[in-house]
Amino acid sequence: MSSRPSSRHGFAGTTALVGIGATEFSKSSGRSELRLATEAVAAALDDAGLQPEDVDGLVTFSADTNPEIELARSLGMGELTFFSRIHYGGGAACATVQQAAMAVHSGVADVVVCYRAFNERSGARFGAGVQGRPPLPTAESSQFSWYAPQGLLTPASWVAMFAQRYLHVTGATTEDFGRVAVADREHAATNPAAWFYGQPITLEEHQSSRWIVEPLRLLDCCQETDGGQALVVTGLDRARHLRQPAVVIRAAAQGSGDQQDMMTSYYRDDLTGLPEMEVVARQLWATSGLGPEDVQAGILYDHFTPFVLYQLEELGFCGRGEAKEFVRDGHLHLGGRLPTNTHGGQLGEAYLHGMNGIAEGVRLVRGTSVNQVPGTDHVVVTAGTGVPTSGLVLGAER
Amino acid sequence: MSAGTRPSPAADPALAERLGVFEGRPAGPDLEAADEVNQAMIRHWVEATGDENPVYVDTGAARRAGFAGIVAPATMLQAWTMRGYRRTKEIEQWRARGRSRAGDVTDVTDITDAAGAPDDSPLDELFGLLDEAGFTSVVATDCQQEYLRPLVLGDRLRARSTIEAVSPEKRTALGAGHFVTTLTEFSDATGATVATMRFRILRFRPGPVGAREEQRPLRPRPAITPDTAFFFEGARHGQLLIQRCASCGRLRHPPAPSCRWCRSLEWDTVASSGRATLYSFVVVHHPQVPAFDYPLVIGLVELEEGTRLVADLVGVAPDKVTIGMPVLVDMVSYDDELTLPVLRPVPDEDAR
Amino acid sequence: MSVTRATRLHDDVSVGEQLPELAVPLTRTLIVAGAIASRDYQDVHHDPELARERGSEDVFMNILTTNGWVGRFVTDWTGPGGVVEQVSIRLGAPNYPGDTMVLSGSVTEVGDPAARRDGRGDVTLSVRGSNSRGDHVTGTVRVALPRRGAELRPLPGGR
Ligand SMILES: [Zn+2]
Repeated sequence: MSSRPSSRHGFAGTTALVGIGATEFSKSSGRSELRLATEAVAAALDDAGLQPEDVDGLVTFSADTNPEIELARSLGMGELTFFSRIHYGGGAACATVQQAAMAVHSGVADVVVCYRAFNERSGARFGAGVQGRPPLPTAESSQFSWYAPQGLLTPASWVAMFAQRYLHVTGATTEDFGRVAVADREHAATNPAAWFYGQPITLEEHQSSRWIVEPLRLLDCCQETDGGQALVVTGLDRARHLRQPAVVIRAAAQGSGDQQDMMTSYYRDDLTGLPEMEVVARQLWATSGLGPEDVQAGILYDHFTPFVLYQLEELGFCGRGEAKEFVRDGHLHLGGRLPTNTHGGQLGEAYLHGMNGIAEGVRLVRGTSVNQVPGTDHVVVTAGTGVPTSGLVLGAER
Repeated sequence: MSAGTRPSPAADPALAERLGVFEGRPAGPDLEAADEVNQAMIRHWVEATGDENPVYVDTGAARRAGFAGIVAPATMLQAWTMRGYRRTKEIEQWRARGRSRAGDVTDVTDITDAAGAPDDSPLDELFGLLDEAGFTSVVATDCQQEYLRPLVLGDRLRARSTIEAVSPEKRTALGAGHFVTTLTEFSDATGATVATMRFRILRFRPGPVGAREEQRPLRPRPAITPDTAFFFEGARHGQLLIQRCASCGRLRHPPAPSCRWCRSLEWDTVASSGRATLYSFVVVHHPQVPAFDYPLVIGLVELEEGTRLVADLVGVAPDKVTIGMPVLVDMVSYDDELTLPVLRPVPDEDAR
Repeated sequence: MSVTRATRLHDDVSVGEQLPELAVPLTRTLIVAGAIASRDYQDVHHDPELARERGSEDVFMNILTTNGWVGRFVTDWTGPGGVVEQVSIRLGAPNYPGDTMVLSGSVTEVGDPAARRDGRGDVTLSVRGSNSRGDHVTGTVRVALPRRGAELRPLPGGR
């Protein structure tokens, strides 16, 4: 399948991911977040065969605590001509790559590194929710006023409200959520970098794990992780002369839907879709000239299992309300229609705000995943769900 | 703290069933000793217990006594795989972030270090369930150790624990509670078993809680802006107010400065009838924040007027909640500043 | 290999024999020393203020240290060649600073020497540690003692 260049997104097909690097994924790194970022970026540059002084652009999440200038100082990057941050939590992941690709394509920068590093387990834990946040008189803070005083405090609880409705409308069961977890953990079990390496789970174990927020159980929820992940983007011409085979950015897109909230978009006509992901999917397929049938593997953001089902539907891998049959037929596993989260996902490998999934997308295209999907030409990767989000289609250069 | 017990008449059979599934499961990941059996830790131990037995410090004396060399005191077994102050700090952080309400007289490190929790392990899950059911205090009650051979300098231990038993609810001198028994196998670097341990703790419901209720932390405060203040002000006066466009008359929630249909900046409010239908709901179990009672049912309703609202659903058991059920909005004052709408099920005769 | 005279021999032990009592004056420092030696940093074992906040009267001895005192109490009696093979304890009244724990014990069973082939015989002891509130610990300990004149099989070490 060849791709036709998009007139809309000039960076698509002309830019590439050329390096990936990460720290170990742990529950207590024992070092600063800046050091994690430093180590991850150094590893990614080494993977690419580039030096810190080759870097002239940096992109991260607005949620990241590591300023670009501190990272540049730490690694001796010298001058930068491009630095940018993406908002909305894990929704930023694939958008960092899009920002980098746009900067490279426009000539603003030549080599751009995307990074995310945190002590999310041993330091401030997202799973603890927003109860400690000061009530500031700002629009962003005031949105939590409709949930926090009522006790709807955590990401799990915000997603659970969608999930309960999804079960009611589609006839899916919590076992279908569990099938996502089982597939993730099966893949993690053979990935030495995964926290749950060697620890697959059964559907029965999923069903007997304790409730976090009904209808979500413990095994529906991602891990909390300490670690860092970095990705290097440059132009395809330069990529051809670097250490690794180029992984071409066939498409990259952001999306926010009508009546978008931060995980609490409860006021739309129905709660069984993720319109923001539909905005992303529409652009990905139009830009790349590809469709679901051209993609051999998926990295679908899995902070909580239900939204993996939603994404299968939004991306067009199955019809509306049909994700339950898709997962029951085993299509998330190796040998299935769309082996998904072959690194173990954020349930099995690590919660790196989606950035570790992009790295796995790169490995799949290079053919170096520990759970390699044979004949992978194209991989779709998504970012945080329930929030304004982003996505990628990555492909081999052939 | 004697373990004399009798069955508790108030025991919850559903809970017993949920606890039962933990029997036979691994307690958590294996614990690797950070250090070999070593003279320094032995010295701390024998000084703490005033033990002058020379086999713990003198090779010649140890050999003369029939040992292969200097040995560790047998009862020091558990110390080799304890994770020390670093682990305690992790547990403190874990508690501070509301993951657990475990408190009172606790001996949590004893058992958690013996068995690997709390780290999203089955034992952690089990403790979570017990916490949730109010059995928040812990005391170690029994320890049985069998030593298959003496440990000598240079031995490196690994501990693997399984949950052996979770008792039905018992009444004890400390209060109603459940005994949790773990079995631990200690092995050496060759994988050979060198010791086994059965460790039992009691998770119990602490005594009267009246004093604690008085100091209960307040619910999180809403962040109020000029666009949203009317809602909380209305609630304090017992009214659920909905923002209404003064130009086209459409209702909207959450509030916004401008009407999304006609772009008008002019608005006023209308009071809701309080009649609503449940559109979705959740039952929150974790994490548990002291300002709330758990399990906490929170509903998303469609008000008769057409807008949606998130509010606590009270007066109905979590397993009786169904999407589509009719509910009525009520107002509850939690403190001087905070009044919020809550949802109550409609009594049968009012339902139609 | 033979054994020093200081070790009590299996042949010399009979059921009903009382062990010499051991009085342990409980100080905060002793309790904290035991907690640290056992790597137990729970605040109830070293911080009086937090211990009281958690409903305890003061800091109290952790179970690992209690186990240690039971072991020492028994090996004081056996001498260096006694091999502790099993300890089962149950906790009761807490050990608080200012109190005294008195350990006492007696022989409840003397095993058949023919049951073992390493030149040793089993002895089972009943042990009790009491303070002013009652029994802090009750339990049983099984030790192996050398037999007079027997060729002792060396105990395995290992890595
Ligand atoms: Zn209007």
